[in-house]
Amino acid sequence: MTTADKGRADTVVDFDAALIERARKGDSRAFERLYRDHVGRVHGLCLRMTRNPDQAADCAQDAFIKAWKALPKFEARSSFSTWLHRIAVNTVLEKRRGPSNAEIAVEDPTEYEEPVLSFDTPVEEEELEAAIQSLPQGARDVLVLCGVYGYEHSEASSMLGIAVGTCKAQLHRARGLLRDRLERGVR
Amino acid sequence: MNIRRVNRIDQLAQNVPPARDLWPAIAAAIEVDRAGALAESAPRRTRWLPAAGMAAAVALVTLGVFIGRISTPTPDTVAGLTPVQGEASIMPAALRDANYRKQRDALLVEVNTQLKAMPAAEREKVAASLATLRRSIGEIEAALGRDPANALLQELLVSSCQEEMRALTAVRDSGSQEI
Repeated sequence: MTTADKGRADTVVDFDAALIERARKGDSRAFERLYRDHVGRVHGLCLRMTRNPDQAADCAQDAFIKAWKALPKFEARSSFSTWLHRIAVNTVLEKRRGPSNAEIAVEDPTEYEEPVLSFDTPVEEEELEAAIQSLPQGARDVLVLCGVYGYEHSEASSMLGIAVGTCKAQLHRARGLLRDRLERGVR
Repeated sequence: MNIRRVNRIDQLAQNVPPARDLWPAIAAAIEVDRAGALAESAPRRTRWLPAAGMAAAVALVTLGVFIGRISTPTPDTVAGLTPVQGEASIMPAALRDANYRKQRDALLVEVNTQLKAMPAAEREKVAASLATLRRSIGEIEAALGRDPANALLQELLVSSCQEEMRALTAVRDSGSQEI
């Protein structure tokens, strides 16, 4: 069970488990139910990572196709949602075909431990999304996974293929840049 | 207009549905995957199925996306599609039907005209996708030539040819809707 799933785990996971079991046996209607339940979150993650609606839809679509093929390997003790997100992140990273999430120097990762990013005054959702989109790729990826989707650094770093310390440093950097851009009114 | 404000970044919506339903393309890929699995369990010479079927599915999905985007006609020339010769010997009876072949040939002429009116970028992608479909059908036909009694191959060939006709019709009618 991951941090990101805690809020929805009680009501969804058992239901998912039954659908997953049916889908494993080749029931595509069960898999369609899983798709309908999860596509919004998977697509939202892809959209924030790619910043491009067409690419995001393609990545989400590919992620579900890969998930179908990999279902026999899925271990029920882990969260289906996290597993799907991992596949989606991999798909986005593959499609980028370039250097991503470059390692940045980390002297002491513990200095980057911070609570969730909050604002003194409410921020318009659209403005906040625009500020997130303006962030450098590595910082944005980490902010989306940890800040928006609630993954812990260990989970996010594993998905992105970076060190935990780098993940923390990128989040620290993202928060600073985000505050700065919101203050300047980036749109 | 209702403007939503948030106090924390984790209050942003996690659930952002895509603009189009992705399920039809996923379902098509699942069917191809299943056909591939069936072919792998079949006794002989059917290992081509996953690649050919997947190529056809990808071509169909690509076509669907690009047909929906076509908007500005630009006259140009294109290495067009031509009616395929010499397929009749291995085709199932339904596809050897003269009426089917006549309709397909007529459709290809109209599709070539439509392709010429497309912007170059779209035209190349649509033509490439149609060529991929055609190549996949060719591979299925070649496999049928080696294993003519294979019911799965016959069924796959018929459905692939139907998909091709549907794609060609959509290209001909392109400009307003997705496949």
